[in-house]
Amino acid sequence: MTNVNRTTLNRRRLVQGSTAAAGGFALVRIAPRAGIAAAQEEVKIVWWDQFLPLEPLHQSIWDRYQEEHPEVTVEYTVYNPQEQGQALQLAFTSDQLPDVHSLAGLGVPPPQLVAQNWFQPLSNGDAIQGKLPEGSLLEGVTIFDGEVYSFPLFSFRQYTTLNWFNKELMESAGFDPETGPTTWDEFRQAAKAITDAGDGRIYGWIQGLNFAARLGVHVDDLAQSAGAPGAIDFTTGAYTYDTEPYAQAIEFLLSLQEDGSLFPASSTLDARTGRARWATGVAGMFFDGPWNIGVIQKEFEDFTGKVGVAPVPTPGGEETFLHNGPSGGVFWISSQSEHPDVASDILAQFTTPEYYVGLAERMDQPPLDLSAVEQAEVHPSYARAIQLFTERVRLAPSPTARNPAVSQVQAEMKDIHPDLGEIAQGVFSGDVTDYRAALKSLNDQMTAERDRAIEVVQGEGVEVSIDDWVFPAWQPAEDFTPGMYGQGD
Amino acid sequence: MNRPFSPPSIHKPRSIGLTLQALALAVISLVWMYPFLWLVSASLKDSLEIFVSGLDLIPADWQWNNYARAWNDAGFGRYMLNSIVITTGSVLIVVVRCALTGYVLARYNFIGKRVVVGIFLATIFIPAGYTIIAVMELSQELGLLNTHLGIILALSGGGHVAAVLLYTGYFSRIPRELEEAAVLDGASFFQVFRSIMLPLAGPVTATVSVLTFLSTWNAFFVPLVFTFSRPDLRTLAVGMLAFRGEHSTDWSGAAAAATLSLIPVVLLFMFLQRYFLEGIAGAVKS
Amino acid sequence: MAMSELDTGRQSIPTRRASAPSGVLARLWSDRWIYLFLLPTAVLYSMYSLWPIGVSWWYSLLDWNGFEENGAYIGLANYREVFQDGFFWRAVGRTALFAVITVPIRLVLALMVAVMLNNPRLPFARLFRTAIFLPVVTTTAIIGVIMQFIFDPAGGPINIMLLETGLVDRPVNFLGDSSTALYTVMGVHIWKWLGVTMIYWLAALQTINEELYEAARVDGANAWNVFRHITVPLLKPFALIIGVLTFLDTINVFDMILTMTRGGPFFSTEVIDVFIYRQAFAATIPRLGYASAAAVAFGLLTIVLAVIQILTFRNAREARRSM
Repeated sequence: MTNVNRTTLNRRRLVQGSTAAAGGFALVRIAPRAGIAAAQEEVKIVWWDQFLPLEPLHQSIWDRYQEEHPEVTVEYTVYNPQEQGQALQLAFTSDQLPDVHSLAGLGVPPPQLVAQNWFQPLSNGDAIQGKLPEGSLLEGVTIFDGEVYSFPLFSFRQYTTLNWFNKELMESAGFDPETGPTTWDEFRQAAKAITDAGDGRIYGWIQGLNFAARLGVHVDDLAQSAGAPGAIDFTTGAYTYDTEPYAQAIEFLLSLQEDGSLFPASSTLDARTGRARWATGVAGMFFDGPWNIGVIQKEFEDFTGKVGVAPVPTPGGEETFLHNGPSGGVFWISSQSEHPDVASDILAQFTTPEYYVGLAERMDQPPLDLSAVEQAEVHPSYARAIQLFTERVRLAPSPTARNPAVSQVQAEMKDIHPDLGEIAQGVFSGDVTDYRAALKSLNDQMTAERDRAIEVVQGEGVEVSIDDWVFPAWQPAEDFTPGMYGQGD
Repeated sequence: MNRPFSPPSIHKPRSIGLTLQALALAVISLVWMYPFLWLVSASLKDSLEIFVSGLDLIPADWQWNNYARAWNDAGFGRYMLNSIVITTGSVLIVVVRCALTGYVLARYNFIGKRVVVGIFLATIFIPAGYTIIAVMELSQELGLLNTHLGIILALSGGGHVAAVLLYTGYFSRIPRELEEAAVLDGASFFQVFRSIMLPLAGPVTATVSVLTFLSTWNAFFVPLVFTFSRPDLRTLAVGMLAFRGEHSTDWSGAAAAATLSLIPVVLLFMFLQRYFLEGIAGAVKS
Repeated sequence: MAMSELDTGRQSIPTRRASAPSGVLARLWSDRWIYLFLLPTAVLYSMYSLWPIGVSWWYSLLDWNGFEENGAYIGLANYREVFQDGFFWRAVGRTALFAVITVPIRLVLALMVAVMLNNPRLPFARLFRTAIFLPVVTTTAIIGVIMQFIFDPAGGPINIMLLETGLVDRPVNFLGDSSTALYTVMGVHIWKWLGVTMIYWLAALQTINEELYEAARVDGANAWNVFRHITVPLLKPFALIIGVLTFLDTINVFDMILTMTRGGPFFSTEVIDVFIYRQAFAATIPRLGYASAAAVAFGLLTIVLAVIQILTFRNAREARRSM
């Protein structure tokens, strides 16, 4: 392995040398024409991400930048997360990483990637920090060793289990098409009513059950809606899969299938095809994130007028909160990039108020500055979704922010199967009959695996313990602001 | 499925037998063809209609703009050229090297033959795993990354044991008399191969060509990984990336792109069909 | 030119040569054309197949997530874990089931179709051949979407047909029910790849002299007897090869399963290919070392099985002979 690296380094220098020579040659040709003495080498920024809906917005930023800096071109490739992960792996080993890329497909926590020399810091980190809302950047999340490596684009105030419904079907079932159902019972009744009125062709609820990972997120959101703090209880640091809310969430979803309200082909649908079938009018309700309306508007335009949204339902109408950790950085500059200054300069364009308004208008994930949504032209359901987020989502503490070694533990942990989504999938398919036992088993295995990983990391001389997951100062109904990280230790 | 019974030497019932066969095959063909027809019809609908109309084949409005979008967004003109170059190169290399190998394996004993056969047989059972990383590193050392040649070699150099096996099987069935006659006429080793054996293996060459064409045309990872720094060298299959993002798929665009990229393969297959039917019957007579 | 080449490599198919030059070096020199013919494949295959397989053997001894420069050497720990992994063995079992069911069906069905299409008097033969080949060519991702419609429990044509003919009284969720999903995927697999096996058989059928058929018919043989007594025996040498190739197809069903079921519902369609992929890429932290070990382990299992089969077959044949 070492041999390969040594040779590669030599080759790289050779390539660099020839590029410099070529640049010099170009200089000789350009200078007389432009009459500018400064060295104007062609700068190409290679950019990879998964944000297909945001491409027009980003392209306009790159075009504007190129008008002011004609020597810079941005070469953009869009991937879906799976493929990008593999592509990044292979690009990393062959020294062909793009200049700027997102983390889609990379499950390894960012602190680990930084430790393995994947990225370099922004060259205008301080300036960017000044432009962002207070507390957007955290050491261990986007700041490492005091340097800013990346910054968030999206707000943490969002969840993936909004109840998107077909307003026509909702109304004909006797429910308010503007607000929709808000409790589990109402949801169940609405689903049943829509199914009954549907005469075997239309069902109350459709979901992409094939996509186990997403299904797990929905179960998690519903459990939080039922009062769970999330997968980890920050007052004790323990995993919570074996607590009541998770079992109740699964029970609730299963009841919909037992009622016959679940669109039968759901078990074969993933998120995309589930959404597509929903848009054809064969089902009333569909859980999805805020980006749903953006996708509908782009791909299934005729359906846009029928889209309504309701919050994630709660068991009985109580006020519960959903928690997300601080937003992570989206775009990172790779350590192999030769133009960090230009890349940083371009990235700075992604922190302006106009950018946030532009983001809001694309209706993908909500922008870091939620107030931008009010100034943007968006579909009413998107505006409502943002409003719902503001009411119900709170900032959770991040163990990594307190102790970066936590990410080492996370990287050491092996996946446990079946995980939450797979258990839910098995419940729907009838393969898992005792889901409480399955959840308990998952919980026990995850606890054991984390303990083992902690031991391994401690064995390497790193300071980390289970206490890093405990935050005594945490209040479920409040944001856990950066200032609170020092309290109550 | 019943084989039609055709009593000998009476013409009428034989043609009834044939008609029955043709009918059976027509039904099978329709079932087999249906998804392809669906793909073509999807390329002429908009995304919503694709899902609303389910299995209906006739589009409501014929959305030719999908093709325009596929052509532009997926960079079809340039990508198609790349695909053609890479696929043609790969087919040539595969046919040549596998025919040569199959020929000697089939008809000669030589020192080391057992080793060669053993290695082939052992390696075909190992699932093609993450060989891509090793291939990439090797190509990087040789300076073959981001070149057409690098992609061609990576796709045609390894694997294709099927082609070798087919050629071996085929060449071993060719009677010795043909070869002996040629040698008596003064043909060299190479001439025997080129002028007698290879032409007789027409059907295998056609088979190998079509299948290699297909797998190379649709190859995604190798062309992707070899063109990170030169996206202008990308192939059609990689170009299809443009239709799938994180949450959404441009269904109608993807269908149009898929149809466009399938046409060459279908045409190639139809064209090569007659080579599937050349026999060695005539050769033995002479 | 001619005379000196006469002794070079020309011999009967493959038997020992009577007038072999003595000495290893002399023999190698007289066979030089053979080695020349082998050279392209020897070089390319070593570079692009043998070397990567060797490297993946090396990876299987590492703990590597693909995102670090190098992995840590852990010896055979991956293999120990693989052999104790229930998911691995279940994937192996599913792959075996997949092969055992799809290979014979594909072989027989494709042969029947090929024989029919081999008849020069059959009208529209070219059209039929193309039609059957079309699924081979159709993009797998699109097939995934189409199959969801076809097998749809609420209104898909298969279910409609089953309900109306009274074969079932409730719709069957082919792809969404863990007891039927694997078999449904098998069915789609057979449908898609039948065309390939068909053209293999067609190529093989070309080696049979037309005149044999004519002679048989003149003698009064009907189609079935022609098939049984002429076609089948002459196809035997090819049967093994085509069988192996068809079997190999079943180890590489990854694309199709990923787009149709993703290995679900609840792992019921997770064959070895999908298992390896899950370990290597779909995990939160990929485990390339573990995935390579699984791939190598599976390859070894297959080879061991194949060797056992060959030995038993040979022993049985010799036992029969000595009786």
